[in-house]
Amino acid sequence: MTQPTTKIPLATQAITVQETRNLTPTAYVLRFDRHQREFLAGQHVILGIKDENNAREYSVYSGENDEYFEVLIKEVLEGDVSRRLKKLKPGTQLQMDGPLGFFTLRPNEINTARYMFIASGTGIAPFRSYVRSYPQLDYTLLHGVRYSNEAYERDQYHRDRYILCTTADTNGDFNGRVTDYLRQTTIDTATQYYLCGNVKMIHEAFEILAQKGVATENMHAEVYF
Amino acid sequence: MSDSERVRTIIETQTGYQWTDHEEEANLVGILACSVRQKAIDKVYSRITRWNKWKSRRNLITFISGCILPADMEKFLKLFDIVFRMSELEKLPEMIRHYGVVTPASLFGDLKRMPSNDSIDDFWRITPHYSSDFEAFVPIQNGCDKFCTFCAVPYTRGREVSRPSAEIIQEAQQLVEQGYKSITLLGQNVNSYGLDKKGEELSFPQLLEAIGKMGEDSEREFWVYFTSPHPRDMTDEVVEMVARYRCLARQFHLPVQSGDDMVLIHMNRKHTVDKYRQIIHAVRRIIPEATIFTDIITGFSGETEEQHTNTRLMMEEFKYNMAYIAQYSPRPGAASSRWADDIAPDIKRRRYHELSNDLRKHALVHNTDMVGKSYRVLVTGHDRKPGYLSALTEGKIVCRFAATEVALIGKFTDIVITSATDFSVEGERVAVAELTTGN
Repeated sequence: MTQPTTKIPLATQAITVQETRNLTPTAYVLRFDRHQREFLAGQHVILGIKDENNAREYSVYSGENDEYFEVLIKEVLEGDVSRRLKKLKPGTQLQMDGPLGFFTLRPNEINTARYMFIASGTGIAPFRSYVRSYPQLDYTLLHGVRYSNEAYERDQYHRDRYILCTTADTNGDFNGRVTDYLRQTTIDTATQYYLCGNVKMIHEAFEILAQKGVATENMHAEVYF
Repeated sequence: MSDSERVRTIIETQTGYQWTDHEEEANLVGILACSVRQKAIDKVYSRITRWNKWKSRRNLITFISGCILPADMEKFLKLFDIVFRMSELEKLPEMIRHYGVVTPASLFGDLKRMPSNDSIDDFWRITPHYSSDFEAFVPIQNGCDKFCTFCAVPYTRGREVSRPSAEIIQEAQQLVEQGYKSITLLGQNVNSYGLDKKGEELSFPQLLEAIGKMGEDSEREFWVYFTSPHPRDMTDEVVEMVARYRCLARQFHLPVQSGDDMVLIHMNRKHTVDKYRQIIHAVRRIIPEATIFTDIITGFSGETEEQHTNTRLMMEEFKYNMAYIAQYSPRPGAASSRWADDIAPDIKRRRYHELSNDLRKHALVHNTDMVGKSYRVLVTGHDRKPGYLSALTEGKIVCRFAATEVALIGKFTDIVITSATDFSVEGERVAVAELTTGN
């Protein structure tokens, strides 16, 4: 598993919404003040409406060198927090805990390792943060979604490094799930595999990679709940 | 234990109330809640319902604190007279004095926020009234950053905050000087100690080293335990420190929760079985005589028979001395509470019994191996068997021996083990216990 190079002690604090950027009818990016707060790409924050109980964890979508924090949120029908966060106006205060978490890249490997990032849906968020933070990364990003319009800001990634897997249309680079892609492709056992998204995808991908000879210490997972 | 000792100290020293063991005659009653399991919170509701009935018959103030989810906190505000965070313990006397004059509603807005540890330093500085005169619990850390999906603690206690090492060492030293024989360093993830203040505070191995040196300088006999470490941050250095200093007890409580990598991912445990295996190997290699305990959750959401079998295989491989096995129940507020609790109760029970039987088999082998050998034990009290005292070995194996001298309780003595069962051993005392202070 990954080792943190540093952890920043942070208590719950008020933050101010700067803007909301809609990517699809249900997915949006919420940008808010950073206040020079340090974090490591791959960490997450806990966001909640001020003075209310409900809060949810979101991976940081922006890079370590950006002057703001961003999170990528998918509005879900039964999700009270995701629906209400979408309606917030610039200047609204939220409460935030973090950044925290351990889904970070090992610093000694960043300039030498080859990575495969495997995401489903908004699980792409920490990988966008990696890529923005470390432009020199040698990576391939495998992104699984239903429709090709859910390729959230794919222009942020090098064309040859981003592979879009779609299940509900054929406009992606591969028609099928990311796990179908993994089954059909040659797997390099020396690559570091980072998986983020729903638990079903992660379980399946983990098994496929293990069967193809990838050691468990080269697989790193962040499950979205 | 550490929390309750501090609460008792504050109440007795600053409010004039005196302790009673009889709930029925108390005028001030309270609960330090634990949100780790739903059952514990269910008991809170049962108890406060009873207390509120008593209020019509006598003067009674009720309070609650501890590990409480914000949603429960809101409900408790309506049921209890006083609700406070443990970090606000120093304000409790004032709240009690003001009861009937103002309500603790002034805290309402604050309590609804996500938990923070802003005032935890004040809590740590309270010198507790220890409930035992030979074993004590010393908090070294509060909160949790690990976010295991079955647990609500990160949402009730906030982030990991390390207590200043100087305070910890001072409290431990005072306990040793007072003759305490068993000291347990407490935290949600003790081996993450210092990571929140990297470069400014000792690491966990360094803290153990400092306590180990303090123990050597004291020339007193005592055992220091720590619970519980998280496998993710466990290092060989921790094991090496335990091996190096005689006062650091050779007993490791290493919660694993499951022996299947997929379940561990589902639990968001941040370690694999293989990483855990490396830790066990390090303990066995560096301190072969150490005992190893663990925690296991069986019947977790979606756990298949194959995954359960993997946990049984893990138990077969690691041969624990003790395992605290729990049948999974979803805890509101924890991430896993959003998933189906889809393992039927009878299947959970069957898996629980299978794991318990596996544990019994291995523990019996360990304990039988103790027969005929001599062990240093700490006498902890009267045994249920008349004419016997109960004790713990350094590895926390329960031991009983024929004796009735109350003066032995809280002292070390030597026992030759004569018989063994799966969860305890019986022995005979071979030497007169050192009854002078300091040993």
